[in-house]
Amino acid sequence: MIYLDNAATTLQKPPSVPRATAFAMTHLASPGRGGYPASAEAAQVMFQLREEAASLFGVPNPEQVILTGNATHGLNIAIHTLVRPGDPVLISGYEHNAVTRPLRAAGARIFVARSPLFHQDAAVEAFAEALHNPVAAVVCTMVSNVFGFILPIDRIAALCREKGVPLIVDASQGAGALPVDLTGWGASFVAMPGHKGLYGPQGTGLLLCGGEPAPLLYGGTGSLSRQQEMPDFLPDRLEAGTHNVCGAAGLLEGIRFIRRKTPERILRHEMHLTRRLAKALQNLPGVSVYQGANMAGVLSITAEHMDPETLGQRLTGQGIAVRAGLHCAPLAHQTAGTLETGTVRFSFSAFNRPEEADAAASAVGRILHTCAGRHAG
Amino acid sequence: MVHYLILCRSLTYAQRTARILERGGIAGTVMRTPGRIAKDGCGYCVRVGERRLADALVLLRREGLPPKQVFVQSAAGEYSEAAL
Repeated sequence: MIYLDNAATTLQKPPSVPRATAFAMTHLASPGRGGYPASAEAAQVMFQLREEAASLFGVPNPEQVILTGNATHGLNIAIHTLVRPGDPVLISGYEHNAVTRPLRAAGARIFVARSPLFHQDAAVEAFAEALHNPVAAVVCTMVSNVFGFILPIDRIAALCREKGVPLIVDASQGAGALPVDLTGWGASFVAMPGHKGLYGPQGTGLLLCGGEPAPLLYGGTGSLSRQQEMPDFLPDRLEAGTHNVCGAAGLLEGIRFIRRKTPERILRHEMHLTRRLAKALQNLPGVSVYQGANMAGVLSITAEHMDPETLGQRLTGQGIAVRAGLHCAPLAHQTAGTLETGTVRFSFSAFNRPEEADAAASAVGRILHTCAGRHAG
Repeated sequence: MVHYLILCRSLTYAQRTARILERGGIAGTVMRTPGRIAKDGCGYCVRVGERRLADALVLLRREGLPPKQVFVQSAAGEYSEAAL
């Protein structure tokens, strides 16, 4: 199988990731719950994870790095902390349901800073214009999970700092390939999954806290046990219950892999593959390729005579794993004008090779050629 | 042998404390706070040798991580709070 659904989950991991996860399963106990070696070693893994992540993502102190179940979990904590019913909240036109659904549930009045695909200047102008009105928070993704459009988060963060507006960054598609800088951005929160660009296991995520968070879950933390309120310090305030230590052990190795390889090199590799695939696909008759400047390792297409779900299914039949449909981001499709059809999405990781991009393009060509033959017949 | 126990508000703070001390050349062991001195229930502390406490406190204050309490553990295993 050629795996090109890395925007959902990176399937090929550095070998150290499954090794550490398997080791943790049988050797590491609950961190912060005992003084014996298996607990102390688990605590050491958790601390090393926080330290590595803090170094990579511009976080001043390791306790500001929270282990979550995924990016959605982190975004829910951030939104639950900052947004009250009726609050106006400004978002980009490329947000995932992981942002829009919690905002809806919180009773926010959602305002969208709409801007066309692949135009960073237009995105900044849209945010600047919208920020003339007061908002309780800005939520912005680093990269569209559908189109790979890299939003100018540095400049949007600068606008937020200027206006004193709390910023929540969804780094789901950016972490591991693009610079993440909690301190430099002055962001209140940055949420990211562990299982995509950080090459960790599913069921892991990180929330970087620049602000004072409110707990989403309440329970035991292994600290201040006589007290019936949650501790007022991090990470305990946000980490009730037993940690996903196996996941954390794998995620730690994933982050070490990123730091060795560097996000810059990974991004360069993924962009190269994206451009290569786009170039091959744009020559196919009836195929629309959504491409432009400022793209990461994600590419969407539509085909004139075949709906995305069918094309995705036929690619599966040819041994190529992609994702078709709306990708849990109807707002992004609305912005790009693909809400009615959806798209077929190809997404790359550090482990993909150029010949895999070529094979995917050839498979699309074969499938559409056969379909065109049927239409002609 | 006399030790000092630097009480920390959480395991992560104890780990951070130990890391700061390690970088400063001071050996510190993260351990659970003995029940007799853990007033708030479960807690963690960092144990340092008798002669290193003064240096440890200077380092921790410099790093913005002053301890909330320090206890002396006597050779007989008794605890008494140290005045900071």
